[in-house]
This record gives sequence, structure tokens and C-alpha cells, in this order.
Amino acid sequence: MQKSKKIVILGHFGVGKTSLIRRFVEDSFSDKYKVTIGVHITKKVVEVNADESVSLIIWDLEGTDEVQMIRQAYLLGTHGVVFVFDVSRPSTFQNLNRDLEIVAQKTPDTPLIVVGNKKDLVINDELQILLKDNGIKADYLTSAKTGDSVNEMFTHLATLLNDLS
Amino acid sequence: MTSLKQYKEQYINQNIQFVLIDQEGTILESDQTFIELNLGDYIYELHPFFATYSAFLDISDETMTYNCVHLEFNEKEFITDVKMMKKGKLVLLVIYNLTGHYNSYQQIAQARNESIINSELVVLKNLELEERERFKNAFIRNFSHELRNPLTSIISITKLLEGSKLNNEQSQMVDFLKESNTNLKLLLDDIMSISMIASGKLQLRNKIFSLISLLELIDFTYRSKTNGGAIRFKMDYDKKIPEFIEGDRLRVFQVLTNLLDNALKFTEEGTITLNVSLNQKRANKVSLRFEVSDTGVGIPSEKTNAIFESFIQLESEGKKEGAGLGLSIVKGLVGLMGSEVHVKSELGKGTTFYFDITLTYALDLASKPIDRAKKKNPDISKLKADKKYKVLLVEDDERTQMVLFKTLMDTNFFYIDLVNDGALVFETVINNSYDIILMDVDLPNVSGDQITKLIREFPFKNIKKIPIIGVTANVFEESIEDYLSLGMNAVVTKPFDFDELLNTMVKFLK
Repeated sequence: MQKSKKIVILGHFGVGKTSLIRRFVEDSFSDKYKVTIGVHITKKVVEVNADESVSLIIWDLEGTDEVQMIRQAYLLGTHGVVFVFDVSRPSTFQNLNRDLEIVAQKTPDTPLIVVGNKKDLVINDELQILLKDNGIKADYLTSAKTGDSVNEMFTHLATLLNDLS
Repeated sequence: MTSLKQYKEQYINQNIQFVLIDQEGTILESDQTFIELNLGDYIYELHPFFATYSAFLDISDETMTYNCVHLEFNEKEFITDVKMMKKGKLVLLVIYNLTGHYNSYQQIAQARNESIINSELVVLKNLELEERERFKNAFIRNFSHELRNPLTSIISITKLLEGSKLNNEQSQMVDFLKESNTNLKLLLDDIMSISMIASGKLQLRNKIFSLISLLELIDFTYRSKTNGGAIRFKMDYDKKIPEFIEGDRLRVFQVLTNLLDNALKFTEEGTITLNVSLNQKRANKVSLRFEVSDTGVGIPSEKTNAIFESFIQLESEGKKEGAGLGLSIVKGLVGLMGSEVHVKSELGKGTTFYFDITLTYALDLASKPIDRAKKKNPDISKLKADKKYKVLLVEDDERTQMVLFKTLMDTNFFYIDLVNDGALVFETVINNSYDIILMDVDLPNVSGDQITKLIREFPFKNIKKIPIIGVTANVFEESIEDYLSLGMNAVVTKPFDFDELLNTMVKFLK
């Protein structure tokens, strides 16, 4: 039986939310940055085990540097949240823990995955130091450009949501 | 005639679509304004956005509005606002097609976000470049610092060698060795200068000095260098320029000699000219133009900026001497003097470097001191011939120990005790009676500057007043000032000339 699960992708602008979705859904990538306004919604069916699959309805929300301003309507009926930051731009994760608290308030009892994207732009050792220095615990470090850990992240979330329902 | 109602239908109603669905999401009615929907289809199968209607049914709100929703139908994209309204057991969807409006907003958002991201990236890039520059300068400083100890030994041993019995061939070899030592020391000084300029640690030391004497010295030096060769050196200055000016004599000298050495390097034959002209005099300020011209190979126009970068050398008929630091130092020093160095060049004809600097000049010439080159030979006549001075040499580097020990002993004026560990110095000083201490700074256990501080704080006059001369590879002015403030009487930097050290010692020995 196929279940339908709505996930929203949040984070500051330019962190690569749309690129992560494009890599996951279409397995493609473009270096050209196109600002997302409002919301784009796509769907992808993910097999979570031999017998079950989950239809992920992915809401790609306009990036904002003020998480508090996210429209509540967009979050209605959300089953899971992915919060993305850009590991190469400190402004996108300097207030990450505060942002995550706000997201948790806006989507209570909803699984949340924290993703550091654009890992291809930084040296891993330096990245680990950077995360430690900023007190950040990222669930996944991804690269939409190379595809590194992108499928794993979405599949993990789909499995989690399937198990919870 | 078209009625207002028709205009309204044409311009407004074309962009608003009404759709009625039931609680299962089945499309019951649609006015098909801009999206063709089949009655009986499930709305959530047409676009995943509409799956959210079921969540809307679960909440108590009667109306919910979604702004700026991208909907794709039949490969056509609409950017819409969607209003969901509960109507009994049915749901009314009102879809506003605002594609044009949102596309304009998208362009504005695109420009704004790109601008913010680019600004952030520029800041990050600058931080990275600054960090690299800091690392490079720190590396250069440490590297040249580490080279100073062995170079001190080499220079000192060469001096000892020069004083021993040598045949002609050996004398000639020692002369080559001396020249190489001098070149290496100059190169180290250049590296240190560029590092200090880049890190902002170099400060000008302005004092009144005779500009005319400086120019005469340069004239003599470069006439000697070019004597008998294919190059003629010519120096000319405006007779109205003031003799005494206030500035950093050493750095003015360094700028001019770097430019002249550069001219010599790239000129096969012809003339090298140093010209100093008066731009203007006002009150006690004078603006001077310094100009160094040559008839050398010239510089391609596309490279006139690159020549001022550190470690850049122009390849010219195999001439690649030096580290490419000379012009970079010139640029840095002239910048510190508040000016800019310019270059005019024509390939095959020659190059002119020039800069203008404004300096203060002494109105009352007679009362101003004349900064003449100091006599280098040590004046040991001031030492008592019948006395042996007791020296404590605090030094952990074995080569420097050996050289200082031997050269000081050779003068027949000194007894020398040696300590190579900072922790042992204080006890040695208390248990003996020294006339002077030569103190290295980087020592095991306790540094030389801290020992000096302890000695100066000692309650007995015979201990606390012992002259202490710092001998260090650390050439930073701020460090030297620190050592002096902690109680050292003077500081001699490595690699030092033995006569310079002896001169300094003579000054403090009674």
C-alpha cells in the first residue's frame, strides 16, 4: 500500500533546497541559481522496503533568512521537515539552533532532519571544525552537485515517516 | 461599443477560476477559466498541491489561502494564489492566476538574493585571502628568523677566517664568501621588509637628516658600481631642494637603491639617471619628485602592474637575479610615505620610475643635527688596556657560542663565562661579578627578556646595574622595544657584524 507524506524543505535562500529536490527527483543539477518564490510542489515515490513505498509530496518553500516569517498555510498537514543550510556560507547557519527551535514550534511533533548542503565546496576536516565551533549537529552533509548523500537523506526520511504511521 | 462589464470579464475574470470538489477530492464543477479540468477526476491526482485539501478539512478554519503556488498543467506553469473555502460538505477552490505579477516579483527577488549572496562571498573571499596573507607573512617571518642564527655563525666564522693566515687563493675564496654572506643578509632583510610591510608592522622612523649627503652617498656608490662599464650613472638634483629634511633616511635610501639596482639589472648599456626635483615648497613642507630612469630593455605595458608584486620577476634575456622583492618593497615603502610609485616604459628604450613625496624640512638649518654615517670600526681605545672585562655570554646556539667566544677572546679584553640555559643565568649572575652580559632571547626554560627583568628587579645595585646587551634573531621593532623596556641596555640583531657588537659593548663598559 502506498502512503502519501508531505514534507517541507526549509532554509535560508541560496542554500540549495531546489537543487536537492531536483537531484532527488530528476537526478540532475544546474549551477545556475534561480530564486524560488512561493512554493513549488513535486512528488516522488520512494520504496522503503520490498513491500512498501511512500509517495513523498515535497514542498520546496521560498528561502528566507527569517524562519518566523514562514507562512503557516504552507506547513499545514506537514509530516516531515528538512532544514537545509549551506556549509560554505556562515550566514545560513550562524543562528541555526534558534531557527530549528522556531521550526519545531511551528511544526510540533514532526520529524526534522538537518542538512548541511554544498559539502563539495569545503574541505571535510575544516567543515567538521566549523560545525563543532558553531555547535551544529547536522544529520546529513550533502552535495546536490555531486549527489552525495541526497538519496540517502530523502529515503531515510521516507522510511522514518512510513515507520511512524 | 464594448461595455465596462466586457472589459472586466476580459481582464479580471480570465484570471480567476472557480472549482467545486467534494470531501473525497472529486471535481464536481469547474468554470475552466484558464485550466481545463475533467469533472469526476480527483483533484489531488492532477497536481500534488491539491492533496493538501484533506489537511484543510481536518482543521476548524473555514478559509485557507495559499499564496504564490506554482501549478503545472499540460506543461504550462501558472503562479497562483489559491483560496480554499468550506461550503457545507463541499470545498470551493478559487484559483487566482497571478503569473505576470509573481514573475516580476521573481526578478526582483533574484536580483536581491544574488546581490546578498555575492556580497557574502566577497567578504568570505577577502577573509580567506587575509588569512592566507597572514599565514604567508608568519611563515616568512619564522623562516627568516630561523635563518638568522646560522647566518650569524657563517658571517662570524668568515670574519675569523679572514683574520687568519691565508694564501692568495684562500683570500679570494673568503672574499667570495663575504660577498655571498652580504647578498644573503640583504635578501633576508628584503624578505623581512616585505613581510613587515604586508603585515603593517613596519613603521617609518622619521628624523632630520641631510638629503644632500644621502644623494652624494648614492652618487658615489653607483658611480663606483658602474665605473669602467658600458653603463654611465648620472645623478642630478635641484639646487633649491632643502639640505635637511625630516624622514626615514634608511627607507628613502632603500627605495632609491632598490630602484637603481633594478635599473642596473635590466640595462646593458647607456645611462642610469637619478633625478630629484622640487615640486613645491610651502611653509616648512616640501614636495619632491624622485625619478630613476634607465636605457634598459623596458617593460611590456601589460606587465607594469605585475612588477610590483612580491616574488615576480620579468624574464629578460636570462636576467633573473634576486627574489623579485625589490620593486614590491619600493611600492610598500613609498606607500608608507603617503605616495605612490609610477612607471613609464618603452620596450627596448628604457624605463622611468618616479614618485612624489611631501616632507617636513628644517627651517633652522644650523641647529639641526647632521645624520652622518656612523664610524663602523670599534673604538676600543675607550677600554682600559690593563683590565680584563668579565663577560657572561648567555647563548644556547653552539655555533654562535663558538664564534662569539673566539672573537671576544681574540681582542684580549675579555674573560668569558658561558651559560646556555635560561634557568641557570640568575644563579650565575648572583655568584659572580660581571661587567656585561650578552643575552640571547630565545633560551631554554626562561627567555632572555624575562631574565633581564628579574635582574633589573634585584635589590642589590651591583647586580641590577650590570649592562645587558640583547643578541637576538628577532628583528621586529616592537619586540626590540619590549626588550629595551624590560631593561636591556641595547639590542643587537642577528646576523650581526662583530664590530657592531663590539662598538655596542664599548659603549656600556667602564
